[in-house]
Amino acid sequence: MIMIYDNAQSRELFTGPEGAALMGDMEALMAELRDSGEYLGGEALADPAQTRSVRVVDGVPAVTDGPLAEAKEHFGGYLMVECDSFERACEIARRWPSARFTPLEVRPLMSGGGEEM
Amino acid sequence: MSTASPSGATEELLRALAPRVLGALVRRHGQFDACEDAVQEALLAAALQWPESGVPDEPFAWLLTVASRRLVDGFRADSARRHREDAVFVEGERLVAEPTADALDAPPDEDDSLLVLLLCCDPSLSAPSQLALTLRAVGGLTTAQVAAAFLVPEATMAQRISRAKATLRRAGARFALTDDDTAERMGVVLHVLYLMFNEGYMASSGDVLARAELTTEAIRLTRMVHALLPGDGEVTGLLSLMLLTDARRAARATSGGDLIPLAEQDRMAWNHAEIAEGLALIEDALRATPLGPYQVQAAIAALHAEARAADETDWPQILALYRLLERLLPGNPIVSLNHAVAVAEVDGPRAALAFLDERDLDSRLGEATHRADAVRAHLLERAGSPRAARELYRAAARRTTSLPERRYLESRAAALD
Repeated sequence: MIMIYDNAQSRELFTGPEGAALMGDMEALMAELRDSGEYLGGEALADPAQTRSVRVVDGVPAVTDGPLAEAKEHFGGYLMVECDSFERACEIARRWPSARFTPLEVRPLMSGGGEEM
Repeated sequence: MSTASPSGATEELLRALAPRVLGALVRRHGQFDACEDAVQEALLAAALQWPESGVPDEPFAWLLTVASRRLVDGFRADSARRHREDAVFVEGERLVAEPTADALDAPPDEDDSLLVLLLCCDPSLSAPSQLALTLRAVGGLTTAQVAAAFLVPEATMAQRISRAKATLRRAGARFALTDDDTAERMGVVLHVLYLMFNEGYMASSGDVLARAELTTEAIRLTRMVHALLPGDGEVTGLLSLMLLTDARRAARATSGGDLIPLAEQDRMAWNHAEIAEGLALIEDALRATPLGPYQVQAAIAALHAEARAADETDWPQILALYRLLERLLPGNPIVSLNHAVAVAEVDGPRAALAFLDERDLDSRLGEATHRADAVRAHLLERAGSPRAARELYRAAARRTTSLPERRYLESRAAALD
């Protein structure tokens, strides 16, 4: 799973004057991933202003506006890819256009299967 | 077959016939990709019609006729290929006109299944593509079934399969393989079947039934190859290895899905019919054919299967077989790890730790370094170093991407607290 982070400026970059070129790079990479069969799915998330954090403390629900962490970056969307290696997934993340402005996280999924011990 | 659900007998018949029909088409027309599409459509038509109208007298001829007709329709529809159409059209019409006579003139050649298997294992394809294409073209599975087995969306699997077929076309897959090609590709074929088996066997019990079917499919296809090439010791060895490993299925996890190590498994719960068959196969192969790595691995599995209790296991013999295997598969880190376990049983855990230190495993294991940590942790525990063992169990638990394995490793660490 490739987790894509945004901040207030980086989202605007994609709609600004350079936006078309950035979207072009993104679409080219997406086409490559679809073609190779590595792409499993992905979504962009709505603005963090739409976020609510929900937790239950001692049985009492507490609902607050905004994302969990008070950070400049917020979780902006994700890509699911199936690759031959972890290195290949990292290469895809490196080529994702937003990596030029904000960090991405690449993490393997936990599977239900297990090797014979 | 994703929408229709033919009876077990019909499905079995269709899947046995699928690679033979495809092989016959490919021999006549070349063009693996177009032929494979046509066969899939014929299988779908049969799955819909046979349960209603009954299985035809000549099911092979029926499938070949329908697939040929679909292929010809495809050529006709493609105006860019008009110049090629005439030749194929004539051939196709002949098939459509006299299907049973054609089939009786040239009774289906059993070797066609093997030809298709060899084509699917073209070296230009990646291992996942070889697997997917083999399941569809030789296993007769639909794209939806292959996708379910690999836990990916159907659209993703459709892309992968069509890309694999395009790669085959570009690579100019040859439809008349020489003996040299066949010998070279048999290694890839066996590896693909081995991967298919592992893909299914790695999944623990629980809700991932599709994966257990992969194991069954790998055994079915390996049986088919064994029937075609009964004198090939490595095919026999691989079939034996699969049966002896699959025999432990019911004993290797708790009802909650937690892994049970080999030494602690309830041996009464092993499948003794599979064990008997696996033992007979490997005894034959070892006696009659040149030695290869699958036979050695089957021989090791046989020694485990023959021990009535874990402490009756013939470890010196297993250690000798691992020495042999390491010579046959030099540099394989998983073999080295298993070898270390045998060293520990014969010469003690300290000797096994020294054995591992001599081999630079971590650099060769890549993402699987947690497995080396897990083995070292076991050895340290047995050597009486609980603190170091606990740290390594925890490190391995953090790094594995398998949930049952993580639970197992954490429980071992917790037991040392």
